[in-house]
Amino acid sequence: MRNGWTISIAAVLALALSPVWQSAKAADTGPVNFSGMWVHPFFPGIEPPAEGPGPVFNLTRRPNGQSNNNQFVGDFSNPILKPEAAAIVKQHGEISQKGLTYPTPSNRCWPSGVPYIFFQPGMQMLQQQDEIVFIYMRNHEVRHVRLNQKHPEHVTPSWYGDSVAHYEGDSLVIDTVGIKADRPYAMVDMFGTPFSAGIHVVERYRMIDYDDAKEAMLRNMKINPRVPDTRADLDYRGKQLQVIFTVEDNGVFTMPWSGAITYEKPKMEWEEIVCADNPFDFFAEKIGAKVPTAAKPDF
Amino acid sequence: MRGRRFLWALALAAALSPAWAQGPSPTASTVAIPDFSGVWHRWFRPGLGPAVSGPGPVTNLSRLNGVSNYNQLAGDYKNPILKPEASALVKKRGDLSLSGVGYETPSNQCWPGGVPYVFWNFGVQILQQPKEVTMVYFHDHEVRRVRMNGAHPAHVAPSWYGDSVGHYEGDTLVIDTVGVKQGPFAMADMYGTPYSQALHVVERYRVVDYDTAKAAIDREAKVNTLYPRGLNAIEFDPNYRGKHLQLELTVEDEGVFTTPWTSVMIYGRPIGAWIEHVCAENTQEYYNNGQSAVPTAKTPDF
Repeated sequence: MRNGWTISIAAVLALALSPVWQSAKAADTGPVNFSGMWVHPFFPGIEPPAEGPGPVFNLTRRPNGQSNNNQFVGDFSNPILKPEAAAIVKQHGEISQKGLTYPTPSNRCWPSGVPYIFFQPGMQMLQQQDEIVFIYMRNHEVRHVRLNQKHPEHVTPSWYGDSVAHYEGDSLVIDTVGIKADRPYAMVDMFGTPFSAGIHVVERYRMIDYDDAKEAMLRNMKINPRVPDTRADLDYRGKQLQVIFTVEDNGVFTMPWSGAITYEKPKMEWEEIVCADNPFDFFAEKIGAKVPTAAKPDF
Repeated sequence: MRGRRFLWALALAAALSPAWAQGPSPTASTVAIPDFSGVWHRWFRPGLGPAVSGPGPVTNLSRLNGVSNYNQLAGDYKNPILKPEASALVKKRGDLSLSGVGYETPSNQCWPGGVPYVFWNFGVQILQQPKEVTMVYFHDHEVRRVRMNGAHPAHVAPSWYGDSVGHYEGDTLVIDTVGVKQGPFAMADMYGTPYSQALHVVERYRVVDYDTAKAAIDREAKVNTLYPRGLNAIEFDPNYRGKHLQLELTVEDEGVFTTPWTSVMIYGRPIGAWIEHVCAENTQEYYNNGQSAVPTAKTPDF
């Protein structure tokens, strides 16, 4: 009897006194909880929109119709491209067709920028009260998105641009401008599609049902190969995260175009993928890519 | 009787629980998880902060105006924490620097720093979540993940930042790290102090008031360089008198060190927003406040 009382009170006291999650700043995820790890096991990745103008895709195909990731020849006839941009995409493709590889942000270990970064195989979204932090899996790329604020009148160009966001019902809407264009390997995708200082990207994130996610993935699989060593939980049938993004850039594109990324639940812990370590050759899907080194110390 | 006992206990829990109480009770405030969230700025370069007492980290033998000469990194190879082999490595690197030649480090070669090297960084954002604490460091966006209330696996696969587990002890966040990978340029600090697979690092974070912080800042000012304002991508207010973040570090590694040693570092709140700082861009040469050459490969990797 006495023991029972002691245990009951001790248990409740322990419950009451145990550390509780009180940090409102950290715990406030906004109206919809997108937080956590997400994976996107497709390469090179960007999904076609359900309708309307879409991104540049690979002209070089495998027998099954999917992108041949050993040769990147962007479709320079895509009507979204202005002539100068089409010529640049064609130039990159010709290099690849010769069996050579052209430098990209990801194979040179430089920041991806937006929307190039959507190629990333994994992403962690951390929703805070006043900002959203994105951490991308490969090489720890990080984006900071300010919530419920405006772009400054004069934006200083930066690698990932100035990103502001707000919630619209079940969606998180991110608006990005000011992405640094005068940088090495400035491109919006792996086909070398250029961008100018006028680039404007709008992302809309929302949770979608498994059936809708599956439809998007099947649409994607007609174009992009699924990474064989997938990190996704194939048995998961719950809600998935999808971002539909729109890109406009009067300096490069004839019209706004859209793309999508449908993220899946991971089945693994976060994996450290350090670009300089570079154990995985994404193009050839083999181990042992050459690690970049400097000829002399920087300082 | 059992039901009445439960209700009594429930009422007691309600009275004590911060979630159910109308306002925070003193009891609740003492058990709440401390809030370390946000961006924090570190004041000093290039080394780890000194210990309050007892064995401390390697410091710079090269001095300029009585403080560490940031343009010449010659680690004190006579520090008794160093085993002879480790001492010889620190001396070798110091000799290079004294002869006017820089040596490679993770941060000047754009490689992950690992733990404890990463603490040289001049800013960190702490993101506290129930199951994980994420730390994003300013320079080159280095990211660490700390699993909360977990244990190290029986067999740890070495990784760049090691296997880190954390828990709260009152007002303190305690992080225990093992399994730090020995990658290229593996070193525990900018003086080239090596480490082995036996490296074990314990971090203890807590928020301190200005007076406590000032004592640590004054102590470190005798060892490291207070980085002048206007040279950082992240800026600080020298008149800031609010709460500071204190990191007390304990490092042990039987392969390299003769004894465990400690270090204390203080972080303040910066001015303005987080600014991107990309190593490959490398516009700021920390050693001599000039511009660095950007590392490039001669051929594409793939």
